[in-house]
Amino acid sequence: MRRTALILIAVIGVFALVIDFWPRLRLPGLDSESGSRPIETKLGLDLQGGLKVEYRVVPSGGKTPTAADLEVVRGIMDNRVNSTGVAEPVVVTSGTDRIVVELPGVTDTASVRALVGQTGRLDFVPIPTSATITQGQDLDLSTVTNCPAGGTITSICILFSGDQLKSASIGSDQRGNRAVNFVLKSGGSDLFAKWTAAHVNEQFAIVLDSSVISAPTIQGAITGGNVQITSGNIGGFQQKEAKQLVDVLRFGALPFPVEELSSDTIAPTLGLEFFNKSLLAGAIAVGLVLIFMLLHYRLPGAVANVALIYYALVLFAIFRLIPVTLTLAGIAGFVLSVGMAVDANILIFERSKEELRLGKSLPQAIEAGFSRAWNSILDSNVSSLITASILYFFGSSVIQGFALVLILGVLVSMFTAVTVTRTFLRIVVAQEWARKARLYGISESEFTYRPTGRAARRGVTPGV
Amino acid sequence: MFDVIGKRRWFFAFSLLITIPGLIFILLTPFSGGKAGLKFSIDYTGGTTWSIKFADRNVTATQVRDELVTLGQADATVAKTGTGFFDIRLSKLDLRTVEPTPTPVPTLTAPPTVVPTASAGPSGSPGTSAVPAPTPSPTSAPTESAAPTPSPTSAPTVSPAPSPSPSPGIVGGSQVPTDGEIGRIATGLQEALGPIAEQQSLSSIGAVVSSDLVNQAVILILVGSLGILGWITLRFRDVKMGVTALVALLHDVIVVLGIFAILGTFLGVQIDGLFVTAMLTVIGFSVHDTIVVFDRVRENRIRHAGEPFAEVVNHSLLQTFGRSVTTSFTVVLTLTALLLFGGSATEEFVLALLVGIVSGTYSSVFTASPLLVVWQEREDRQRGRTSGPAAARRASA
Repeated sequence: MRRTALILIAVIGVFALVIDFWPRLRLPGLDSESGSRPIETKLGLDLQGGLKVEYRVVPSGGKTPTAADLEVVRGIMDNRVNSTGVAEPVVVTSGTDRIVVELPGVTDTASVRALVGQTGRLDFVPIPTSATITQGQDLDLSTVTNCPAGGTITSICILFSGDQLKSASIGSDQRGNRAVNFVLKSGGSDLFAKWTAAHVNEQFAIVLDSSVISAPTIQGAITGGNVQITSGNIGGFQQKEAKQLVDVLRFGALPFPVEELSSDTIAPTLGLEFFNKSLLAGAIAVGLVLIFMLLHYRLPGAVANVALIYYALVLFAIFRLIPVTLTLAGIAGFVLSVGMAVDANILIFERSKEELRLGKSLPQAIEAGFSRAWNSILDSNVSSLITASILYFFGSSVIQGFALVLILGVLVSMFTAVTVTRTFLRIVVAQEWARKARLYGISESEFTYRPTGRAARRGVTPGV
Repeated sequence: MFDVIGKRRWFFAFSLLITIPGLIFILLTPFSGGKAGLKFSIDYTGGTTWSIKFADRNVTATQVRDELVTLGQADATVAKTGTGFFDIRLSKLDLRTVEPTPTPVPTLTAPPTVVPTASAGPSGSPGTSAVPAPTPSPTSAPTESAAPTPSPTSAPTVSPAPSPSPSPGIVGGSQVPTDGEIGRIATGLQEALGPIAEQQSLSSIGAVVSSDLVNQAVILILVGSLGILGWITLRFRDVKMGVTALVALLHDVIVVLGIFAILGTFLGVQIDGLFVTAMLTVIGFSVHDTIVVFDRVRENRIRHAGEPFAEVVNHSLLQTFGRSVTTSFTVVLTLTALLLFGGSATEEFVLALLVGIVSGTYSSVFTASPLLVVWQEREDRQRGRTSGPAAARRASA
């Protein structure tokens, strides 16, 4: 039993050390598509700088967004974010109607925000022959109605909207120039076929949120729903233009409008400052606890310190494995958990001291310390877990970061402060040199080292 | 032997002394219209906080504030930090008035044309031969000439792309906004006080999130307290212990809130979104000492069954007093390090934890335990009145 515990501790320790310090380690992905993932310490936005925006998906047209709708909106936003080339963006849903977008390292917040947060109402708008529309122009569609069934028009109207788009891609025209192709669903296709047949050489506009994205001229009747937009440039569209147009066609419209609830911009320099400060504070805090335990509990304190360092290494390895994103609050949670992790040891050692004073031998007193203190340790830790779990399940993302650190800390500390400390302490007290009263902070007269039960024969009752 | 239980009236009085002033300041919050009591950060009220530094180091907070007032932000607060940054807080500034920029605008150099295609590929479709050439301008009819040279009319569209003009690059900081209401204010400030050299942070929170947070905070604290009540009652099989532990918790919550209400009134210390986290952590942690004491009470009660309950509790308190203080001390040690060296961002959070944990140790020893005795003795007296012999038998069991 004791040997098993020792082997388990050693294996976990080596494993944690490798994960903590071996550079460029990768974790194989669960599915073959995602491939392997590097094991690394993830830092939150507040520690590396960047932009975080929380959106609310707003009900529209009498419809409330469902979980599936929320996921669609999230997917489109994710695509939009990825199209900007930001490294490691995070786009997650939160609650029933929230989407949180985190863009680490982004400093040009205005344009990214405008791209990600636009609802993107995409309309296909025929232009009367009397007017000319250029790309980039504003076109207010708020009072514009649907197009009449046929005939000529005197003012702009909406033929159909983005919901009739099936797909869009970059292609090339018959001369090999870069063009943009898109496919319409049957409803839009029928409307478009009728309209283009009757209005050859007339202009129509693709309008996103009142801004003309493209204003091509109809070259002929377009039936079947397959449409191609070509550019008059030599070589057709430039790659970037074509991609942007395709992106608008594909990701242009969200099924529900979104509103920005909150936004946070933190400069990378400030993030670095926060990071350095909290690291320093954490190191000082852990150092103070180590010194205190050594001074106050002597030899058991030293063993508890070994367990505490072991705790920190294992917890850090878990953070890197899951991975847990470290935020300012998370680091505070970690430091706090160090203070709490030694609490179990304090309860055990105080109890052991009491048992020693009652005349129990050193090994007996230590065993009694562990078993008598266990109830209090368990109850205390469960109390912390109850409140931390409430925070984790109902809190915002910042709060969740803190709560997760605290939950993992409490769980790991129950293992390290009890199992690890007990295993090491049993080994240590079996040594000849360890049988001295001053190593335990009690007087010589109270100290008994005898592995067998003198206390039992004396019949001393512990307690008052 | 020091008699904690015997002096319980003094400790109850002290508890009232530290909770009542706090309670008064907490209750002042709704009645003073935000002048006194708890000061909420923008996490709760909505608004904008902004940290910027001007190229001109001689700009003063008063200048910035005056300029903000002229720009229509009458209730702006401005504070200059040691590093030359201005911490600006604007209430009810709605960043969402940023006009949606139609970002992915293709920068077409000539008007495009639409041709029907059978597929995405270049293989000839019936329609393509009819329109082999791109139209050079939207107004001119398609011509047979396939010359791709743009006609003069298409030249204007070559002009600058309508994407937002980038603001001057700022080393290390994030870009100062140019759009929307905040952009207008930034421009106004820069016109009056010179360029903004660096922007450290910019946060904006709408009212919807805020109203959520207050409700959420209250619910979380209630659920957390009930969870602890349930757990203690379950583990100690004694509803009295659960309830007295809960009272001690509420004592701690009121002390922390009260101290922040007082600090808010006199020093403008704000409570932010993390405050509820601190409160729940305090709830989870401060019960630790209560558990240690109650665990010992449970043990001693069996071992010294004949003794009066007050004496059993007093013994238990004194036996565990050292470790109650020590366990809290290690946590206080780490929190103090965080408070002194951890930077300003988590200051309030750590302070709340610190106050709560100290209060938690006090309330476990000097509030929860004496209350337990009061309750138990009252129960015993009532039981004695109704059935004296039964109570006597129970005491000697």
